[in-house]
Amino acid sequence: MVPKIGVYICHCGENIAGAVNIEEVRAYAEKLPGVVVARNYLFMCSDPGQELIRQDIKDGLVDRVVVAACTPRTHEPIFRKALESAGLNKYLLEMANIRDQDSWPHWHDKEGATAKAKRLIASAVAKAAYLEPLEDRYVEVTPASLVIGGGVAGMFAALDLANMGYKVYLVEKNPSIGGNMAKLDKTFPTNDCSACILTPIMVQVGTHPNIELLTYSEVESVEGTFGNFKVKVRKKQTYIDWDKCTGCGDCVNACPAKVPNEFNEGMDYRKAIYIEFPQAVPKRAVVDIAHCLNCAKRTIGTKPRVHSKTGEPILAPCEKACKTGACDRSREYNPEGEILEINVGTIIVATGYRVMDKAPFKEYSPQSPNVITAMQLERILSATGPTGGQLKRPSDGEKPQTIAFISCVGSRDKRFHTYCSKVCCMYMLKEARLIKEKYPHLNIYIFFIDVRTGGKDFEEYYNYCRDLGVKVLRGRVGAVDELPGDRLRVRAYDVDLGAPVELEADLVVLATAIEPAPGLEELGRKLGITCGNEGFFKELHTKLYPVETSVKGIYIAGCAQGPKDIPESVSQARAASSAAAVPLTAGKVVVEPLISEVNQRKCTGCGTCVQLCPYSAINLVEDKDRRRAKIDEALCAGCGACAAACPSGVITLHGFTNAQIHAQIKALAC
Amino acid sequence: MSQVQGGIGIINLSAGDPSLVNEIKELGGEELLECIQCAKCAAACPMVLAGFPFFNKRVIQAILLGLRDALLDDSSIWACQSCNRCTEVCPREVNPFEIIQAMRRVAIREFALPTLAIEGLKSLYDTGHAVYLAGAGNTRAKVGLPEKPPSTLSYPEALKEVRTILENTELAELGVIPMGESGVTDSCEV
Ligand SMILES: Cc1cc2nc3c(=O)[nH]c(=O)nc-3n(C[C@H](O)[C@H](O)[C@H](O)COP(=O)(O)OP(=O)(O)OC[C@H]3O[C@@H](n4cnc5c(N)ncnc54)[C@H](O)[C@@H]3O)c2cc1C
Ligand code: SF4
Ligand code: SF4
Ligand code: SF4
Ligand code: SF4
Repeated sequence: MVPKIGVYICHCGENIAGAVNIEEVRAYAEKLPGVVVARNYLFMCSDPGQELIRQDIKDGLVDRVVVAACTPRTHEPIFRKALESAGLNKYLLEMANIRDQDSWPHWHDKEGATAKAKRLIASAVAKAAYLEPLEDRYVEVTPASLVIGGGVAGMFAALDLANMGYKVYLVEKNPSIGGNMAKLDKTFPTNDCSACILTPIMVQVGTHPNIELLTYSEVESVEGTFGNFKVKVRKKQTYIDWDKCTGCGDCVNACPAKVPNEFNEGMDYRKAIYIEFPQAVPKRAVVDIAHCLNCAKRTIGTKPRVHSKTGEPILAPCEKACKTGACDRSREYNPEGEILEINVGTIIVATGYRVMDKAPFKEYSPQSPNVITAMQLERILSATGPTGGQLKRPSDGEKPQTIAFISCVGSRDKRFHTYCSKVCCMYMLKEARLIKEKYPHLNIYIFFIDVRTGGKDFEEYYNYCRDLGVKVLRGRVGAVDELPGDRLRVRAYDVDLGAPVELEADLVVLATAIEPAPGLEELGRKLGITCGNEGFFKELHTKLYPVETSVKGIYIAGCAQGPKDIPESVSQARAASSAAAVPLTAGKVVVEPLISEVNQRKCTGCGTCVQLCPYSAINLVEDKDRRRAKIDEALCAGCGACAAACPSGVITLHGFTNAQIHAQIKALAC
Repeated sequence: MSQVQGGIGIINLSAGDPSLVNEIKELGGEELLECIQCAKCAAACPMVLAGFPFFNKRVIQAILLGLRDALLDDSSIWACQSCNRCTEVCPREVNPFEIIQAMRRVAIREFALPTLAIEGLKSLYDTGHAVYLAGAGNTRAKVGLPEKPPSTLSYPEALKEVRTILENTELAELGVIPMGESGVTDSCEV
């Protein structure tokens, strides 16, 4: 049967028509082999546009459709539906992207753009002649979800899904959930105490019957696809029996080894055996084996020596102090930890951010203990911090009289991050305000490039801070010099006065940038999702699909996607959880039939494809006397690696058959 | 002030006087802290066109930073034409003109005012007019007007009231101009 191809060319408003001569292209398309009709319309995706296609199908005029328009990434589903509703198999559609690949890049070369549009359409028409009807497959969905990262975003995503009745695994790499928010003192724009609003949420997460908390754990590998992911999680060894540990902290008190305390941003020390912070969930001890002194020669996994006189075993102080037997150094040494295998239908990634260190900013005297990051100041202001909430400068514990804040440190800076970290303007104002409310006579100066307070109630917050007498200067600080007496000289240029200014301060706070969490790219590789230039996870579509990723069934939320504040992180988390719940609720998901198939009769059983398949979807199976390759439909992702490699050419990738691709190339070449 | 104009000297913020903000607020510049340094007032200000280093927006920023000496060492604030355009255009209702007035009050308290201003004040006390030209009577007669305008010049009892008011202001305490019967003149040549 000769195919009857209809070509539908979209103006995309001015987007395509502004560079491509539509009528010329339409007339050309009409004469292509197999084409029975070529039409154009202002917005082909609008209802009247789709109706043109539907009517031609219903009239029996066309049975293959080529849409020359924008990107199939967003619009292929729309046109497929149009075919389906007119009674035509939806895979008899081919799109030519004459916008992103033509009119946009060649905007100033109208002739060239028109010529290219013709070739792209000719190529799509050539392929369309070979299109075959395909049937969707459905797979059952595992009614469970994995949330990676236990910050405020991850916790809300987990709670929402758990409250809907789904099983949720929450994987957090640190010993406790809480994330960066647990370190904050009070939080803008309402100044609630971070611990007061976060701790109850942490407890809810920790005690929810549907949530399985896997802290001190990381994702090792991810296999499978949408609806059925098989995830391996590595639970790092804590060297403590968490079933017995009550979090009493006796072992911690007994431990003599001191390690810079990450939770207090390195401003004091924790022990080698430690509980991450007082409100930790789960509240359990962990041995930091790299810094453990192995007191009493009690290396993990050895039997204790016996006292020559008393005959008592010689124990390490931590063991001796532990009343529950949770700390027992005779336990097996297993630095690899334990691998857990879990099956989930959907995954939410909420791995958050880290704040930049001050070290790279040589111009700001990072060697001075009185030059600190804003996150360090959060810890100084916090009642659970190294100073118990007393405002003290690190060098000598004196209360500072003059404090200077410097904005955009490492943000909006080509040497580090070109993006705006978005929350620093507000958190600087917040920290200044908290200090000014407690100590009205302190002098506080904030040096900005410009103040960015775009958010609900934020401008009011800014005005209030200025009413308190916080001095706001426009102009980036050029240098901070160390002066005798632990003082610092801040040198800047006040753009508003048009003059260089100098300030003697005893504490300088750097609003260092928010940057992607370490290991984000590697995690992305495991999940198959990509990072943007700035290093954060990329959403499928900024406006329409902001929590989806390019991998179906994997969603993102919070600062893993880009810098944002708590209200935004939580909103995004709750959006991601509802997106992730949709397939779980549906119970089954459509899998596109664009996968590979082996012609088993002709397969020689060489096994080349088995090694190549990145999804382990191919097995050699006994078939009568011979072994032949067989592809598991549920696992195949349609990447085509096998089809390209098969020396006998007997693997077909549906939707991209050899005949289709050859025709497409041939049409492009002429 | 040369510091600002040429960017020569460095302004030492540590020497800033934090009390200046409240002083200005008390002296009529209540909305000082509302200013966001958008510079709209500067775009409307004739002082900017005339090239004065401290005009509305910069005066405000200098006050916010407590740069009392820098402001007092400079005579820009006396160049304000009282046109009030800044007040009309300011998006934050700062009333920049009032702030310049308040800054003048600060300056007067510290005797940091130019001779011109002293002369104006003296004339106000002496004649009821800050500016009244000596030859004005002749000019008026030529165009058929009474030699003296119907103001304090024609009504000594009104002049007395003006003087009483001035004698009850801080000006009298400060002694910026001689008051009482001493040295009262009829006019002031400007
Ligand atoms: C100094 C400062 C002050 C701030 N003050 C405010 C404020 O007052 N108000 C406000 O609204 N916002 C404030 N913010 C912003 C706020 O901290 C963030 O919006 C919020 O913490 C983001 O939450 P999150 O869950 O996305 O990320 P995070 O809090 O970073 O949580 C991510 C979690 O994922 C874990 N994780 C990371 N990688 C992995 C991995 N590979 N596997 C498993 N787990 C992983 C991390 O350990 C962490 O627990 C401030 C930020 C800073 C820097
Ligand atoms: S939020 Fe403010 S301080 Fe932070 S990078 Fe953006 S503009 Fe700079
Ligand atoms: S590579 Fe081809 S011939 Fe070899 S086993 Fe795979 S399908 Fe069969
Ligand atoms: S197309 Fe082939 S290589 Fe790719 S996932 Fe499917 S079976 Fe594996
Ligand atoms: S006084 Fe008003 S117009 Fe002038 S800079 Fe301030 S806010 Fe802008």
